[in-house]
Amino acid sequence: MSPLIQFKKVSKLYGSGNTEVRALWDVDMSIESGEYCSIMGPSGSGKSTAMNMIGCLDQPTSGEYLFDGQDVAQLPENSLANIRNRKIGFVFQQFHLLNHLTALENVEQPMMYAGVSSRQRRERAAEALEQVGLGNRINNRPNQLSGGQQQRVAIARAIVNKPLLILADEPTGALDTQTTQDVIDIFSELNKSGITVVMVTHEPEVARLTNRVVWFRDGEVLNHHLDPSELASVTAVPAG
Amino acid sequence: MATKTLSANKLRSGLTMLGIIIGNASVIAMIGIGEGAQKYVNGQLQSLGPNVLFIVPGNRDARQLGDIDIPRNLVVADAEAIASQVPSVAAVAAEKTTQGIISYRNRNTSSSIVGTTEGFLTVRSFEVGQGRFLNDLDQKSSSLVAVMGSTLADRLFEGQNPIGQQIRAKGITFEIVGVLEKKGSNLGLDYDDAVMVPITTLASRIVGRTSPYGVDVSFVSVSANSQAAMETAEFQITNLLRLRHGVTDSGDDFYIQSQDTLLNIADTVTGALTLMLAAIASISLFVGGIGIMNIMLVSVRERTQEIGLRKAIGATQKDILSQFLIEAVILSAIGGIVGTAIGVGGIFVIAAFSPFEAGVSASAIIIAVGVSGTIGLFFGVVPARQAARLDPIVALRSA
Repeated sequence: MSPLIQFKKVSKLYGSGNTEVRALWDVDMSIESGEYCSIMGPSGSGKSTAMNMIGCLDQPTSGEYLFDGQDVAQLPENSLANIRNRKIGFVFQQFHLLNHLTALENVEQPMMYAGVSSRQRRERAAEALEQVGLGNRINNRPNQLSGGQQQRVAIARAIVNKPLLILADEPTGALDTQTTQDVIDIFSELNKSGITVVMVTHEPEVARLTNRVVWFRDGEVLNHHLDPSELASVTAVPAG
Repeated sequence: MATKTLSANKLRSGLTMLGIIIGNASVIAMIGIGEGAQKYVNGQLQSLGPNVLFIVPGNRDARQLGDIDIPRNLVVADAEAIASQVPSVAAVAAEKTTQGIISYRNRNTSSSIVGTTEGFLTVRSFEVGQGRFLNDLDQKSSSLVAVMGSTLADRLFEGQNPIGQQIRAKGITFEIVGVLEKKGSNLGLDYDDAVMVPITTLASRIVGRTSPYGVDVSFVSVSANSQAAMETAEFQITNLLRLRHGVTDSGDDFYIQSQDTLLNIADTVTGALTLMLAAIASISLFVGGIGIMNIMLVSVRERTQEIGLRKAIGATQKDILSQFLIEAVILSAIGGIVGTAIGVGGIFVIAAFSPFEAGVSASAIIIAVGVSGTIGLFFGVVPARQAARLDPIVALRSA
């Protein structure tokens, strides 16, 4: 079976001439379907660029990126939006919930772009909220929820279109230790149900709970299969 | 979805709509006032009576150029000639008007003194309320008799029977022989508040001078036998007067206006007025549209993160574009409807305090609401495109 995510000599350059910045340089990387892995590296290492690329928010300057067997490097904007909508669920550090909508309505949003009927939207959104343990808070607005609860609403929103991949950008960055544990537990469960989970983080405690760490540095992958238990050895590397 | 975001920002949505509301209300009210004025003027002209032609001394072009040296060569004899020689004419009235003090015993009032002829009653479609109207005999003998308009009679006699009473007009004593039925004012000339005397008497006793051609008049009004006879009458009168005045190639020294030409002139004037008012009001509609664009641009900036998120969860550029366009159109359409309601209300208020009737035309409402919707669309495009083109990565990162 081909990997869910495959980078073939992917480069991303910003600017040109003297000011050219190589955010990613000739990266070969693959993540299999069903993996639970984290992407780490000092800031400026290219991990965010890689994440945007994986999430089809950005396209490489050169190279090929196969997502679910499809080369998305040259796809038009609309097709990318469609892939993000149906195959990828995003979870962000700042949750990015819409404050004027209830939890249920927030979770409904991705389905609106997928053209799901309003009755089905409500049912599936309620189901997803149930799954993250917020079945009793569906009519609360984000400002009536704690940070951990907000992040769980965001996770419900990410899984509601039954994606192949959950892409989480520092999902626990704004949470305390206890809620971090809750959120990570949800990710583990989702992974067990077969969804691939990729998480960008710089918290070793969080990365340690995943099965594999991809270590970025200076726009290249320094270590493809770092065992999370060896993290102590690399965190000694000064973070930029 | 769009309504949710709008209602989440009630104050801002309200203020944005305010521009469109004011613009729309003024367009509707201005057009309404314009149309009211038009109806009013038309009504006045129509109440002149059908089939009426006015013959006015002086060359038409010269008059329009503001020539004040109007010849005094249109005379009562011309009116008599028209009455006796033009078969398509039913009645003829000559008129000459002056202002003066009218007094009865110790009561004085300032009013119009209209010198006219027997035909006045028919041409101007008045009815005699009491007594009789002026007749040919009064005319020939320049007798000192007068007929009063009803308003003036009420004011001067306060319920007494005026018939047979003596009044003084500019120092000359007249005997009241009749009172006219009330008719209402007409183009600023209110015969109800005037006293009518034989034109010959007015010329010889009050104005005190006649032109070398005879008893000159301000104008002659003529009613044709029928609507169909109007053109014939105009043609025959023109020929007759040219003959009588010895008009050569140098041009006519009189001209003839029909109710139609007056209506046309009035329509042109009030139409231009309406257009001007509407143009002024559209400026505020335009400004309202710019207001929408401003607020939408601010809104796009404020909601950058939302736009980034929506793109991340699968919104296409088209989705974002239509979301913002719909918001702009809803804002301006609601503004348009509210503005229309206010404008219509304004028209009724104005109608209550002016002689204009309230004229709310459906077309004005449809145009105004349509235009404000279009304005929302037009001015919504720029912000909506800006939103649609945001890079989701940049948008999500913005704090």
